[in-house]
Amino acid sequence: MNVKERPSVENWTKPSAIVNELPQNTSINNQSFNSTNSQQHQQKCVNPSIMDYNLEALSSKFNQSSENPSFLPSSPCNQTKITNQDDVQMNQMLQNGKLLGWDPRAMLSNLSFLEQKIHQLQELLCMIVGQRNQMYDCPEELFPQQQQLITADLTSIIIQLISTASSLLPSVKHSLSTVSPLLGQLPQLNGVLCPSTANTISGLHLQINGDPMQQNVGDLKPSDRSNPVEQNNSSIEVHEFKEEDNADEDEHLSPGSYEILQLEKEEILAPHTHFCPICGKGFKRDANLRMHMRGHGDEYKTPASLAKPHKEASSELVLLKRYSCPYAGCKRNKDHRKFQPLKTILCVKNHYKRTHCDKTYTCSRCNAKKFSVLADLKTHEKHCGRDKWLCSCGTTFSRKDKLFGHISLFQGHTPAIIPLEENKGLSETLNHAENLEAVSKVGRVGFSFSTNDFNGNDIQGMVDLKGNIEEACFSPFDFDACNLGPFHQESPQPTFDGLGSSFSFLISGDMSAVQSGTNNIG
Amino acid sequence: MKRCRILSLLTEDLLIRIRTKLTDDVDKKSFRLVCKSFYRVDSLSRTRLRVLRPEFLLDLLAKFPRVEIVDLSVCPRVDDWMAALMLTVGNSDSMCLTPRVRSLVLRRASGLRHVGLEMLVRACSSRLEMVDMSYCCGFGDREAQALSCAMGLRDLRLDKCLNVTDVGLAHIAVGCGSLERLSLKWCSEITDLGIDLLTKKCLGLKYLDISYLEVTSESLRSIASLQMLESLAMVGSPSVDDAGLHFLGDGCPLLKAIDISRCKGISSTGLCSVIKGHRSLVHLNASHCMVELSSTLLHWLKDLKCLNSLIFDGACVTENTIQTIPTGCKSLVEIGLGKCSWLTDADIKLLVTGCNNLKILNLTCDSITDASISTIVENCRNLVCLKLESCNLITEKSLEMLGSYCMLLEELDLTECCGVIDRALNHLSRCSELQCLKLGLCTNISDKGLSYIASNCTKISELDLYRCPGIGDDGLSALSSSCKKLKKLNVSYCNRLTDRGMEHIGKLEELSDLEMRGLKGITGAGLMAVVAGCERLTQLDLKHCENIKDSGFWAVACYSKDLRQINLSYCAISDLALCLVMSNLTCLQDAKLVHLINVSVGGFELALRACCGRLKKVNVK
Repeated sequence: MNVKERPSVENWTKPSAIVNELPQNTSINNQSFNSTNSQQHQQKCVNPSIMDYNLEALSSKFNQSSENPSFLPSSPCNQTKITNQDDVQMNQMLQNGKLLGWDPRAMLSNLSFLEQKIHQLQELLCMIVGQRNQMYDCPEELFPQQQQLITADLTSIIIQLISTASSLLPSVKHSLSTVSPLLGQLPQLNGVLCPSTANTISGLHLQINGDPMQQNVGDLKPSDRSNPVEQNNSSIEVHEFKEEDNADEDEHLSPGSYEILQLEKEEILAPHTHFCPICGKGFKRDANLRMHMRGHGDEYKTPASLAKPHKEASSELVLLKRYSCPYAGCKRNKDHRKFQPLKTILCVKNHYKRTHCDKTYTCSRCNAKKFSVLADLKTHEKHCGRDKWLCSCGTTFSRKDKLFGHISLFQGHTPAIIPLEENKGLSETLNHAENLEAVSKVGRVGFSFSTNDFNGNDIQGMVDLKGNIEEACFSPFDFDACNLGPFHQESPQPTFDGLGSSFSFLISGDMSAVQSGTNNIG
Repeated sequence: MKRCRILSLLTEDLLIRIRTKLTDDVDKKSFRLVCKSFYRVDSLSRTRLRVLRPEFLLDLLAKFPRVEIVDLSVCPRVDDWMAALMLTVGNSDSMCLTPRVRSLVLRRASGLRHVGLEMLVRACSSRLEMVDMSYCCGFGDREAQALSCAMGLRDLRLDKCLNVTDVGLAHIAVGCGSLERLSLKWCSEITDLGIDLLTKKCLGLKYLDISYLEVTSESLRSIASLQMLESLAMVGSPSVDDAGLHFLGDGCPLLKAIDISRCKGISSTGLCSVIKGHRSLVHLNASHCMVELSSTLLHWLKDLKCLNSLIFDGACVTENTIQTIPTGCKSLVEIGLGKCSWLTDADIKLLVTGCNNLKILNLTCDSITDASISTIVENCRNLVCLKLESCNLITEKSLEMLGSYCMLLEELDLTECCGVIDRALNHLSRCSELQCLKLGLCTNISDKGLSYIASNCTKISELDLYRCPGIGDDGLSALSSSCKKLKKLNVSYCNRLTDRGMEHIGKLEELSDLEMRGLKGITGAGLMAVVAGCERLTQLDLKHCENIKDSGFWAVACYSKDLRQINLSYCAISDLALCLVMSNLTCLQDAKLVHLINVSVGGFELALRACCGRLKKVNVK
């Protein structure tokens, strides 16, 4: 690591012992941090880390992870190490940004570390696959262990990527204010970095507090910093404030009050978001999956496995979730200047299909109107053929007031007069259409039911939705997209739920969950 | 020879000037009949043509080169075919109709459909300024579309065109953007949407009548955006409320006249906002829509300096009200307080003391006494019209005062005033300008009283003697000998009348409207005398004249060629006579044929076939 190259270490107002010791230890030896949990806590609280967005949540998770030392014996130390490391990196970046600009060497070392890590994981998986092929009937207790291992490795990669990316951003950001040519690079970098991170990991890009720059700035707030940094902070803050002002227009949420999630295109368009870990069958809802799982054995029939996956984090965290469209340049994309977030995952799906996909559903009645969302077609079919209000320009309207509004807008347009006989004929066809509708209504019940599921009970709906996202994001489908095919194709995971829940902390914004799996980084 | 010299002194210029002074149709006719040069002057200067029979239209058009207004409202059988004929002949002739006609009156021309109308309108598209299509029951959206070709249309009346919808109105609004005056009374299919579009397209509207439409306050919101609007009539719109009037108060800066009578949904607060916004209001009619006049409303009323006409019929008036009105509005010309209960003499005194210019006063109220009349007479010497319906406390004294001081009185309504006796009429007869006198239900008058009136009030043109049992043949004799200008006469249920009285009526050559219901003493001979004498008869009501036999109806069929409305209900008319009446009266537009005991179903069929679609309205039961 490049910690030693950091200039003006002495500027920090922290206890010099910690400040000086920390980077060295980080680079040299993890073991020096093998102290007690309480110490870790203290230390962590003293040193606000770049990833430390929610101290309470973090510490609770921290406790939790330290309660299970069997799989991750060194996790507390690593966590601290990572946070400190990031902290130092971050600060260094900021200072470098101010004095020199960002350090490409640091980035390079980070990336090479990532490369190593991914190779390591690949080897591990190959090994597991090989083992399974040899002894297929091995005791099932081994699977959770293997799975935990892989999870931990993946999580560490995620962490590293995020830290790399986010450590880069403030420096760029900072250079913005001083070096004007770099100004245009910020959105570019945002656009490049974030999706790449997401692609590599799971199709999910994760940010807390809306904007990476802002959180970083926020982290720098504690007053135990040196003067130059403080001044620096204030200037950045002002700048941030201006930018955030015109952000959420339709929904007046303060920028920090929600987190932004972004699904990948494949994820959005996937017909099923829940997959059976045994036979691979897909489902739209996890409840259906659980019902399906009962067929795979008696162990899935217990009340515990049939119950809705419970998440502790959801009860603690009240942070709102908002969604971003993955399509670059879209107003619903978080990089857009006037970004307007989407409220639910259903909104994301409908928005993406409507705006960025082909219109594949054609109305069979008029053969003119096309839709990309099936529900839109059905809505249209309700009214199709009823446009009896015709303008002289040929435009038809379903409502008289719309026609009159049109006429008042355009010079010389007049309403067409429908002769009485034709009118009669029209009403007959309308009646016919109504009959058809009545018939087709039966088939539509299922559809409306599924939408109700999303819009129904608020709290319940939110929980459901969370479950959907998590499992959606970590479904094998996406791993497939990331060239990790063997992982899901040849290794059915009986403890899929466990995996999901371990990742769920990542989704819900609790970084400590991620950090709990960083034992393999060093 | 002396005569000729006089004529030679009258140059054409002079004759034209003289002719412009003539207003009455009868006088014009006399002028025309003087000699050839007079006739030529009349032909050259005539601008208005009202045709009774379509067959003469083309000849007449050729004779009168300056005709700009063509009135076909009394002309039967105005239809597409006739329109086509008018145009084809017109085009071949240099004296054609189209380039000079500026106004077309096509009232009740239900036979004219969109094809004919479009031809007519297109032929005189640019110059056509005024079209009256009122009471054309066939007028619908297609006709409106045809009419919208007249780009320069300024004045359009569509009263009771029941088939016009918003679509038709939209065509007119888009096509005739320069409309200034539009009447949509009784066009019940028109809604807020149509009105809204109208106000967006016809920004120059000055006069708008939306009475009896199913519109709400939303329409008023749109109407308020009309910057040129001066007069708005909105009678009988129950859905309009104070909110609508509030819009109106904020908009229409030039509004001068507003009629919101019979709008049940409004209160005095709404009216206040209108008054607040328009201090230069001249006419205000809010009759039959408010129970009570609030003090705030009266406070605002005081500020209306230009107010001419204030009508609050049916309102609950207190002393406070009366005190307020005249102190502010000295310029009032018309006051309407009809059917205002609890109106006392003291109130009247307060009301009229300031108003020296008052000309029209409606006090249809049973608490008025002679004291009120005396104050009115003292203060309002210029009174022209006074309505005292059902003022039972009025006596001979009142009429004496009226006869002595209100010499300009032209219209007097004394319906159901029991205090009117023969001597009172004698006093009243000094009002020699009297034109319209209503004495219905005055049971105490006799032939003597009528003869006083007849001898002095020779200008009288309308007389109502409904249910005056004292009136007999002698009274009518006096009437017919002096009141030659009588046009409208009601002698219903004057049971003493016989055929001899009818003969006197037959001497009234100007009579056009005769109502003689329930005259049991009249036979066919009497009716024959009437129709033979009154050549101009257009409306005849014979309901319950049960003793008239077929001979009378034959006479009607033969003589009254101009008859447009007839009521034969409860008459003893036979199949044959009915058939003859219906087929011979070619101008007939409206016939009521209720309860004809001697007419069989076949007779009805024959009669209705005989009139072959000319009839606009038949009431058969």
